[in-house]
Amino acid sequence: MANTDLALSARGVRMEYRDRSSDTRLVAIEAMDLDVADREFVSLLGPSGCGKSTFLKIVNGLLKATAGEIRLRRNGKGREDAMVFQDAALFPWYSVLDNVAYGLVCAGVKNDEARKRAAPLVELVGLQGFEAKYPYQLSGGMQQRANLARALAVDAPILLMDEPFASLDAQTREVMQAELLRIWNAAQKTVVFVTHQIEEAVYLSDRVIVMSARPGRILADIEIELPRPRALELKRSAQFTAYADQIWKLLASQHAPAAPVGQA
Amino acid sequence: MSVESATTYRVIYPRVRRRRPPLVRWYRRNERVVLGLGGLAAFVVLWQVLSGAGVVDPLFFGSPQGVFQAGVREVQIPRFWNDVRYSLTEVTVGFLASLVLAVPLGLAIGWYRRVSFAFDPWLNFLNAIPRPALIPLVVLWVGLGIEMKTIIVFLGGFFSIILPTVEGVRTVDQQLLDVAHSFRASQRRLFTSVVIPATVPFIAAGVRLALGRLLIGVVVAELYAQTEGIGVLIERAADVLDGNRMLFGVLLFTLMGVLTTEAAGRVERHFQRWRPSANLDLEEGT
Amino acid sequence: MLPQRRWARPSVATLSVGSTPLAPAGPRGLTRLVRANERLFYGILGFVVIGILWELAGDLGLYRKSLLSTPSLVWSAAVQDFGSGTIWPDLSASGVEFGLGFVAALGIGIPLGLAIGMFRRVEYLVSFLLFGIYSTPKAAIAPLIILVAGIGLESKVILVFLLAFFSVIVSTVAGVRSVAERHLDIADSFGASRWLRFRSVILPSTFPFILTGIRIATGRALVGVIVAEELAANEGIGHYIELYGAFLNTARVMLGVVLLGVFGVLMGEGVRRIEKRYEVWRQEIH
Repeated sequence: MANTDLALSARGVRMEYRDRSSDTRLVAIEAMDLDVADREFVSLLGPSGCGKSTFLKIVNGLLKATAGEIRLRRNGKGREDAMVFQDAALFPWYSVLDNVAYGLVCAGVKNDEARKRAAPLVELVGLQGFEAKYPYQLSGGMQQRANLARALAVDAPILLMDEPFASLDAQTREVMQAELLRIWNAAQKTVVFVTHQIEEAVYLSDRVIVMSARPGRILADIEIELPRPRALELKRSAQFTAYADQIWKLLASQHAPAAPVGQA
Repeated sequence: MSVESATTYRVIYPRVRRRRPPLVRWYRRNERVVLGLGGLAAFVVLWQVLSGAGVVDPLFFGSPQGVFQAGVREVQIPRFWNDVRYSLTEVTVGFLASLVLAVPLGLAIGWYRRVSFAFDPWLNFLNAIPRPALIPLVVLWVGLGIEMKTIIVFLGGFFSIILPTVEGVRTVDQQLLDVAHSFRASQRRLFTSVVIPATVPFIAAGVRLALGRLLIGVVVAELYAQTEGIGVLIERAADVLDGNRMLFGVLLFTLMGVLTTEAAGRVERHFQRWRPSANLDLEEGT
Repeated sequence: MLPQRRWARPSVATLSVGSTPLAPAGPRGLTRLVRANERLFYGILGFVVIGILWELAGDLGLYRKSLLSTPSLVWSAAVQDFGSGTIWPDLSASGVEFGLGFVAALGIGIPLGLAIGMFRRVEYLVSFLLFGIYSTPKAAIAPLIILVAGIGLESKVILVFLLAFFSVIVSTVAGVRSVAERHLDIADSFGASRWLRFRSVILPSTFPFILTGIRIATGRALVGVIVAEELAANEGIGHYIELYGAFLNTARVMLGVVLLGVFGVLMGEGVRRIEKRYEVWRQEIH
């Protein structure tokens, strides 16, 4: 892939927290180098606290890294990145349409114009007819669809997704994964997806970046060569299972380095 | 990777951590105390200056210095300590009485759903009546003595405790009751092992509210009756237009208020330890 | 949700397997109506029963009428005073005192509360002072206010203001503190300006808490009206109660008390209804 195809390029990113009173340092991310190509779907996978969400927040600008640099390919029309948050992600006091339009309003678009631009995205994520409803009237899956629509509405080329399906039940989760791939295909975005579920990462991504526990660093960068479009049944295939297995072993070796060799 | 030109990429830089001079660092760490005390000190100084310059009438508003002197004079008079004892008696007796009566009644009312439906409007209605309005009525009953004040304090405490208690009993988690029932617990065991522990945080919140409202009762009742007590100290000082002495009395109440609020907060926190989240949206004190 | 006492045995009908009830089993007509509105029904019943008992006890001479009066006497006093119009000046005087002080408390308290919650420097500067005044029973300051501002409208309004102000501020600050960090992150993530952040996240999040503060403030403001009037006034409901208390006219004393109770309950319920509408906006305080 040519260099100019990189949507995101991170070098030496390090995140430290210093506790003022006890003067101890907490290293959330030790050192991260990451390249993401244009329109690639990349997952950051790792145990809780490994810094994957922290990395996303640094890219999005919510946190400032202690060291390292990140380059995002400039978008002529506006923002480069938009975040899809975990739960509690919609404002309970706005309707679905207003929530989806929120990103545009933040960017300075007038309310009416923003709503007009948001409407087709509500349809894209499958929530047509629910524009006037309020979040408390929607199920968890529907709320996350709206969450996704909001991030898509600002038309940023890079989507940052922070465990968006974590609070959904298993079936809804699977449905949303398939939906996400459909929408990603239609919207042609670059996605950096954070999760701690191996299956989810393998199913969705072109590449899975496996991270270690805190202090976080990249353990492996695995190409997932499964054909697209990917149906949910793919999860039962041998190739899929092989990838999942490989990653599982990699993560497990982190937890129990003293496990006796040769154990099944 | 070759270096990309800046025009095609937006760079996110790490945070720059500059070392600040030690004074600035110290200030940052202790900002809360510095500004807090500073604000308070500024207020006191301003008050003294305005008072001295006559902008603020020293007769009415006193001055920090004057209040201090009035205080020193006051604590040497035996009548002062008599008043203090009087007020403290009202508070303790009234509060304890309200606690002893409100908790069992609250538990009983809350437990029987229909009874709680019937009593709830009355409790809310009586609670909505400002206690100062009840003073003339209580005076009709028991006169102007210490009994009247104790009753007023009692009423404040009683309603503050009984309402949350009833609420607490009514909102006991159904699952817990199911568990007890599935183990064939007797009514009494059900009550002591599930209902009472679950209600304790509510009772504690009620106690916090009661402690806050106690002082209002004391002040209002004493001001009305004008016989004895710290409230009367204030009134006596008003009669002779002694602003300093009045403020000294007010500060005494402030001190009591601060102490009771602190104590109340601690009581409640102690009993809330096991609760993950206590969303007790109830009325506060003073 | 009220705990249902479900340890009664389930009825046989629901245990029978393989049979579908043709018509919904259960109570009909009046009983069903009662079950549906149980709370209201028992509430009204409670009021009525106590009212009747009160009347009977009074008429049968179980207690001296001068102590508690009876509903019928209170009613006739009401008819007299409302009919002749003698009570209206008192009602309107109290109403004006309440209204002015209350509105002022909202107008100053809400913005200040927001500022304290949002800007920690403001909080540091002001909190010691505010905490001190908050802990002081405002009734203790009442004589001073009356000394300074006289016995007219101004002193009452000031006292009402002080009492309502603190409820509003405390609730507003609590509301700002409870804004979900996640929601602020969302605003920042999409690059909202400071003003938009305030308008789209902080304000809606705080609104339910402001409503709670208003509800509590109405009760406190009412206390302020009464206390100020009892200390020094020529008109108002507090004055009305005190006056007739001195004349041992218990019926009118009770009338005044009942009017206050009704007003307090109505205002409380009114705001509570509005609060419920915005309940979904509220974030849990942990």
